[in-house]
Amino acid sequence: MTLSRRGFLNAAALGTAGTFASDMTRLDLLRQTSWADEVKKQGKRVILLWLAGGASQFETFDPKPGRPTGGPYRAIPTSATGVHISELLPKMAARIQQTTAIIRSLNTKNADHGGGATIMETGRIKDPGIEYPDLGAICAKELGRLDSAVPDYVSMYTSTEGRRKGTSGFLGSRYAPMFLSESMQPENIRRLESISDIDHQDRLALRDLLAKKFTQNRHSDSLGSHTQAYQRVRGLMASEKLFDIEQESTEIRAKYGPTQFAQQCLIARRLVEAGVPFVKVARAWWDSHGENFETHRELCADLDHSMSVLLDDLRDRGLLEHTLILTFGEFGRTPNINASLGRDHFAAAWSATLSGCGVRGGACFGKTDEDGHKVADGEVGAGDLFATIFTALGIDPNKEYHVGARPVPLSDFGAKPIKDVLA
Amino acid sequence: MPSDPTKLQKTKDIGIPSIAMCVARVPNSGRLIFGSSDFKLHEIDVFAEKPQPTPFGGEGHQSYVTGVVLPAPNVAVSGSYDGQLIWWDVEKREPTRKVKAHELWIRRLVISPDGKTIASVADDMQCKLWNAETGEMLRQFSDHKPITPHDFPSMLHAVAFSPDGKFLATGDKVGHVAIWEATSGSKVATVEAPGLYTWDPRQRRHSIGGIRALAFSPDSKWIAVGGIGQIGNIDHLDAPARIEIFDWQKGERKHELNNDKFKALVEDLVFDPSGKWLLSSGGAGDGFVTFTDVETGKPIHQDKLPMHVHQLALNESYDTVFAVGHHKIAVCEFKATEPPAASEPAKP
Repeated sequence: MTLSRRGFLNAAALGTAGTFASDMTRLDLLRQTSWADEVKKQGKRVILLWLAGGASQFETFDPKPGRPTGGPYRAIPTSATGVHISELLPKMAARIQQTTAIIRSLNTKNADHGGGATIMETGRIKDPGIEYPDLGAICAKELGRLDSAVPDYVSMYTSTEGRRKGTSGFLGSRYAPMFLSESMQPENIRRLESISDIDHQDRLALRDLLAKKFTQNRHSDSLGSHTQAYQRVRGLMASEKLFDIEQESTEIRAKYGPTQFAQQCLIARRLVEAGVPFVKVARAWWDSHGENFETHRELCADLDHSMSVLLDDLRDRGLLEHTLILTFGEFGRTPNINASLGRDHFAAAWSATLSGCGVRGGACFGKTDEDGHKVADGEVGAGDLFATIFTALGIDPNKEYHVGARPVPLSDFGAKPIKDVLA
Repeated sequence: MPSDPTKLQKTKDIGIPSIAMCVARVPNSGRLIFGSSDFKLHEIDVFAEKPQPTPFGGEGHQSYVTGVVLPAPNVAVSGSYDGQLIWWDVEKREPTRKVKAHELWIRRLVISPDGKTIASVADDMQCKLWNAETGEMLRQFSDHKPITPHDFPSMLHAVAFSPDGKFLATGDKVGHVAIWEATSGSKVATVEAPGLYTWDPRQRRHSIGGIRALAFSPDSKWIAVGGIGQIGNIDHLDAPARIEIFDWQKGERKHELNNDKFKALVEDLVFDPSGKWLLSSGGAGDGFVTFTDVETGKPIHQDKLPMHVHQLALNESYDTVFAVGHHKIAVCEFKATEPPAASEPAKP
């Protein structure tokens, strides 16, 4: 049989390409339940500010001024009555009541970078028998749309230390992140100059035909996922400008400022505004075994400014009520101050924040003891945090995926949402 | 009796509950007044049979106490991360005056050789001079940018008076040193020591280091600058202790010293009054002292100390050093051995 490339182009133009260009607000008829449709229609988004290496809860959201473990920085009042945070976060202090809930009672039990990151990426401990998807992949699946013209999971991690790409696990490559590591612009998504646009569309159509023939009489989730990923290529190629902050006004760029993290936060805002359901911005590297206080003086200034401007910008655009902004990393840092005036790895009593969508601003859940050695009240784990995140987004945390015959709930078995921080 | 750095031996090793950040010694005694991570000043007589720190009372500081000087008998002045200077009655151990001195964290205090002027430096990047008796601010000046070239907050850790009291030096996080005429506040010179500042643009994307110690030579012509060298893994203080010595009037770097024995941060520098040696100390996990021959730049003697040292005080004869730091105070002597008694002439 002779294949006509032009014929495939026409088919693509009538079918697939038209779908790629669809409006994000269109009803997704492919989903299984009307409830799930409703979630998608609401256009919920997530920005995870991943504090890679482990930020100190003492120098951020759970200060212990005057205690032997407290360090030199003061606690300052926030806009939420009775809630104090570190003086290193003055801009966030002014925004807590309006935007942000603090969880101070995480005990995630693993103070190893890799193990801790796996737990905080997937909401559960590693299971050798199954590769769990991370939060981004789950949100991409639950909030993204099959016909999306934009990527549905973007992960930025430009520092090299502790760099982790993220994983879509058993959800397959369709939900794998678009990963930006070397620059703030996606690499390899531009069409090669040696290939014309028509040729490119022809190639896609040809690949599509061959894939369909190959998958005929074969049933495989991974094959399906692979094909779906390819089907989105044209849309992803068209998304390049979303990563270009030069498209923003001088005023907006000046508000975010010059640091790389701030600029990545601006990209994150552009992405969620365009409909990307999950964006992860990793700010590395907080692993302050030496000079903890100087390190946090630098990095907290970056976090405080970038997060505050991001929240304001989302609010001004009417996006904050639909966008959940998260801050956490793989763990916190020790109460003990070591001889290098550093703090080491610590997962037994640390903090995370949720801001925006579905969150009760000003809520402060859980307590650590007076020196921050252990959780004194309201101990929660990563699974509970994930159940809270899903609930804030309107996703049923008890929903199950099936890996073969094995049911896998979105949040870990036994996990419960923290109602006190939910709106 | 002259000192001999090669005779260095630790004579006291005293545990304390907090981290001692700064120290001043009451003249002609073993009484030390140190500022600490418990937000307090303490006094301790290290020559007592069982030395115990006694905290000062009253409404004191609200953060780490990072500088202390003794401008007059029975008077101490302390500075803290809370931005305050507090004058204290040493006998009563109570505050007598508080001054809101800086907007951000005070990193160090020094006192002029005549005891009349106190200089403070802080992360608002200002150096301020204070009348040690009245608490009046005399002047302020800065040549230090608040933001590093990499767009993060800078820090101003180090300040020193010259021994003749004419000059003052300030040193910041990125390795910039400004030298000032103390009476007028005019800037008279700058020197640059960027090797003390590590910016990691790739792996960890933040910085570490900076100038942590400054000292003028006895003739005031040279200035020594201390910190830590270029660090590969900035999670740790994992680079050689580093000192640079400049003839600041000529703008010449005389020595660039990377300590091949100790990976550590230099927290304090003291010149021998004769100008023969420079004592440096600091630490990472542990502490160290190094005596360097000022002329050659070679170490004369160096040894470990049991803790990361934050500041030193020396006795009047410069043969005993009192080091304070991470949960410990150490006393080391380096006295020259008495010359042997003249022996009887050999019989023919």
